[in-house]
Amino acid sequence: MSIQKILLKFEPKPENTLRAIKELAKSEKYLSKSECEAIARYFSLPLARVYSTASFFDMVKVKKEAKRIIKVCSGGACLSGKSMEIVRQIEMQLKIELGNDAHPKFRLELMSCRGLCDRGPALEIGDNVFEKVRPETVDDIIRNYL
Amino acid sequence: MSILTKSWPKIDPLNIDSYIRQRGYEALQKAIRKKPPEEIVSEIKNSGLRGRGGAGFLTGEKWEIAARTPADEKYFICNLDESEPGTYKDRMIAEKNPHQIVEGLLIGAYAVGAKKAIIYINGRYIKQAEILKIAIDQARKKEFIGKGILGSAVDIEVEIFQGAGAYICGEETALIESIEGRRGEPRLKPPYPSVCGLYGKSTIVNNAETLANIPHIIRHGGKKYSKVGSSTSPGTKLFILSGAVRNKGIFEAMLGITPQELIFNSLYGGGLETGKEFWFAQIGGGAGRLVPAGKLDQPLTYGDCEYPIGSGSILVIDKSADIKDYLLSWAGFFHRESCGKCVPCREGTFRLWEIAKRMRNGDPRPRDRENVEDILWTLANTTFCPFGKFAATAWSDAIKMFGEKIFK
Repeated sequence: MSIQKILLKFEPKPENTLRAIKELAKSEKYLSKSECEAIARYFSLPLARVYSTASFFDMVKVKKEAKRIIKVCSGGACLSGKSMEIVRQIEMQLKIELGNDAHPKFRLELMSCRGLCDRGPALEIGDNVFEKVRPETVDDIIRNYL
Repeated sequence: MSILTKSWPKIDPLNIDSYIRQRGYEALQKAIRKKPPEEIVSEIKNSGLRGRGGAGFLTGEKWEIAARTPADEKYFICNLDESEPGTYKDRMIAEKNPHQIVEGLLIGAYAVGAKKAIIYINGRYIKQAEILKIAIDQARKKEFIGKGILGSAVDIEVEIFQGAGAYICGEETALIESIEGRRGEPRLKPPYPSVCGLYGKSTIVNNAETLANIPHIIRHGGKKYSKVGSSTSPGTKLFILSGAVRNKGIFEAMLGITPQELIFNSLYGGGLETGKEFWFAQIGGGAGRLVPAGKLDQPLTYGDCEYPIGSGSILVIDKSADIKDYLLSWAGFFHRESCGKCVPCREGTFRLWEIAKRMRNGDPRPRDRENVEDILWTLANTTFCPFGKFAATAWSDAIKMFGEKIFK
């Protein structure tokens, strides 16, 4: 669907900006400059206003992400389910360091609580969320993404 | 004693009739047919219900301010942007009994005179948002939502707004900012949202669990509700037990219960997992205080207690855990989620996170020790909103409890 078609689903009121931003970021993975400009024109807002909203939220990206991001939950509940051991396991498997940008294909990060505490530890790769991950089984999950 | 969870096993969340069979929407009918809005507000005031989001403000008083504010338009928002670490109680209510929230929301909107109600749900709760959407559609078909509810002159429209993944949007003014399509940064208070909120109109923001209590209060009367639980904070609360405790999950208990009972009573936590020894507990999510073994007998209430209840989550940590992992977890969380509006919080959480990383890697710098003290003081005393104070709580407690050990 073209940008215009997606935008036409929303009434051009400023309060619909975040909804439109989310909708566009969903289909295209990240918001490009031309999309931000289209949103700004459609809602009659300065481009900076659109960028300021889009860059604030976790679920919207304004830059193309070249690497695959692996996120491990570090909330208290997942932590007591050995999520740090999972981190160490991934570090060893991929020869990567937590938070370090040196690996050409992957980046390993900690993430904030997703409310999956009863089904933790949680692991997120791209759009996929894995629950009840164990240090012993995490290798198998990662192997699918190599 | 259970109020919220009592009917959960008998309810099909996708079918409104199963909720109506459990006396659902009776309170809404009673409110709209028999009670003027003022009477509902005073009923909630009599109940002494406090907001279940964390701050524990008296719900009745909040409603009264909004009801008294003259305005052509008012808004009523249900805050379901749950993202406190270790907390998933609102998600559970939405999954098990969404109509409980919708009914509470409708009664609230009627009481303050709001024509528009919004459920602000965490952007990552996609399944739960679908359940709520179905619930709203079913309620609309039964004439509980829309124009002329149940044949009266009351109009209330309900819509769902999905967030986009920001912890700070659980703060009411940041939540309002993000609905308006801006960055989710908190506003200066006062004016409070009940006077000047969404689009500058009088707005109530209530936690989903608070609203889930409303139908019960209207059905049974505020006086009766105020006798349940502790005298300063009546009612029951959903507690979330996680960590090294044997029975993990959500438990409903009367306010005024002690952490000791929640963790060790077989009705709730049932003690620690086999072979594990209690070290400390964190009460109230990532922003919560640390409670050592000797202090577990303090009753959990709102307002006057030493250990604030916060979101109601209780994380039990046993002696095999590494405190440095937790320090990194707390510092990392607040660094990621700081909105960046004020310098002390943006920089403070960032530097604290850097120090936590160095500590986890086993090479802290000599100056880190005094810097931590400085950063924690600044976070606790100078930030724009309470977020900074939250960021400092667990760290300050850890330093008090473990002293120099954590820097080695």
